[in-house]
Amino acid sequence: MQLSEILQKDHVLLDINVDSLESCLDKLTETMVETGVVVDSDVYKQAVLKREQEGSTGIGFGVAIPHGKSSGVKEPGLAFARLSEEIDWNSLDGKPVTSVFLIAIPEEQAGNEHLQILSQLSRKLMHEDFRNKLQEATTSDELFEALEQ
Amino acid sequence: MKKLLAITACPTGIAHTFMAAEALDQAAKKKEVDMKVETQGSVGTENEITDAEVAEAHAIILAIDTNIDESRFAGKNIIRVAVGEAIKDAEGLIDRALAMEEKSSDDYVEQAEQRKKEKGAERQGFYKHLMNGVSFMIPIVVAGGILIALSFIFGIEAAEEEGSLAANLDQIGGAALGLMVPILAGYIAYSIADKPGLAPGLVGGMLAEQVEAGFLGGIIAGFLAGYLAKLVKDYVKLPKNLEGIKPVLVIPVLATLATGLLMIYVIGGPVSAIMGGLEDWLQSMTGANVVFLGLILGAMMAIDMGGPVNKTAYAFAVGLLGSEIYGPMAAVMAAGMTPPLGIWIATLIAKNKFSKEEQEAGKAASVLGISFITEGAIPFAAADPLRVIPALVAGSATAGTLSMLFSAELLAPHGGVFVLAIPNAVTNVFLYALAIAIGTIVTALLVVLLKRKSPQAKAAEATN
Repeated sequence: MQLSEILQKDHVLLDINVDSLESCLDKLTETMVETGVVVDSDVYKQAVLKREQEGSTGIGFGVAIPHGKSSGVKEPGLAFARLSEEIDWNSLDGKPVTSVFLIAIPEEQAGNEHLQILSQLSRKLMHEDFRNKLQEATTSDELFEALEQ
Repeated sequence: MKKLLAITACPTGIAHTFMAAEALDQAAKKKEVDMKVETQGSVGTENEITDAEVAEAHAIILAIDTNIDESRFAGKNIIRVAVGEAIKDAEGLIDRALAMEEKSSDDYVEQAEQRKKEKGAERQGFYKHLMNGVSFMIPIVVAGGILIALSFIFGIEAAEEEGSLAANLDQIGGAALGLMVPILAGYIAYSIADKPGLAPGLVGGMLAEQVEAGFLGGIIAGFLAGYLAKLVKDYVKLPKNLEGIKPVLVIPVLATLATGLLMIYVIGGPVSAIMGGLEDWLQSMTGANVVFLGLILGAMMAIDMGGPVNKTAYAFAVGLLGSEIYGPMAAVMAAGMTPPLGIWIATLIAKNKFSKEEQEAGKAASVLGISFITEGAIPFAAADPLRVIPALVAGSATAGTLSMLFSAELLAPHGGVFVLAIPNAVTNVFLYALAIAIGTIVTALLVVLLKRKSPQAKAAEATN
């Protein structure tokens, strides 16, 4: 399984304008509903918000990785949004975020390949040059290039 | 150079675990510190830290938001922080870890040894299951034995008068002793297979009692039932909607049936064959050397205490009373008294070889011993059969031999020391008492010699 299988091109929203964490989640979830990854957006959103309550997924450096494991998800999925205006995410470093990766995981998951891919993504996010590329990408193609590296 | 270790873990185990690990890896690389980071994520444990690495490490950073087993780091420098802390300031954590004072390696080695010992005690699953059964059996043996002994207060024959208090005491005590083997088997099985093991274990123990296989048969029944129940539990797969009936219907029925059939066909058959064979053999020895007969009868009394061998010897001696031959009865009773008496002495002179529970049970064994209730030694024999039974057999054979050698004769088939006080019930009373005393001492010394230190005594030594 490749990262691109999870992060479909239709799941990428570059330079969108949202005013809150919730509306950001709604927009990203919508993209995954359209591709059939998420079948019940309400159930899925609850799982994501619950995870957010346990501790912010704003990992600092302007990046957040909200995620939810839920029966509302049909297959593993990843959506990405780059925000034109930063929003507050209760991040670990207290700074607002501009890049959001939303992760969707089905309740009953046979393999763990996608988890490994997500763990790799998490590791990549800790590298400054990777984060810079996320900020500089002008098209989703450039973004994928950065992700596949 | 100081080596560092770290473990990262977060509640979902998807993102933060790995980000923290990466942050620590990067920071370590930057600072040129030798560090290994284990991740406990939802994909399982990756890059696992070994015990050897723990032993070498200067400090361990635990960047975790979940509970993990920290016992393997006992005696080491530990920094405990939230996962977020490692993501935010990995370098700071490494500085803190390096700045910690060097812990003496002795601390860790000592702790590791201690852990190994505890593990060792746990790993002896067979012993653990056996002890569980024995520990549930002890109160039953004590209650039953003491109540039967109490009935003797009213006179040796008092219990034969129906409706008398003595007869009732005897009945209550008998009921308790009848539960002894089922409880032993039941709780051995319970220890192996949890609740589903109890029913087949109790039934298997009851069958051991019915086919006269004694407590050794009960031990077999317990292990059979336990592992059969576990087998059914682990390997019989049912559709999800039927899974609920498994613990209440499928496991009890299948495991009890299998245990029962095995007890009847595989254990029961040989046991009755052994009893028949032994009976014929004893009959054929009537003309032989009586001292040798005493040795054989004595040994038989202690081999399975209530099992087929013991019962055959006892029945043989009782049968001879009808022919007015009283020597074997005396030998059998002496040999039946020395096991609990010898155990009692052993618990007094070698406390470190017995658990606290056994030391207390030892006191009760003294009362059961003087009352000729051989069952008092069963919990000790069941807990450690290969060491205790040979000791008991040697002591009982000694008592039986001496009793015959001293030409002691006994006219009553029970009673223990209480019959010694009755005029003319025993001939050569003083020599007979001497035979019992010597047998008791032989038993006690051999038990002490053969038995190993109890786990509790070992643990106490390890902490000193």
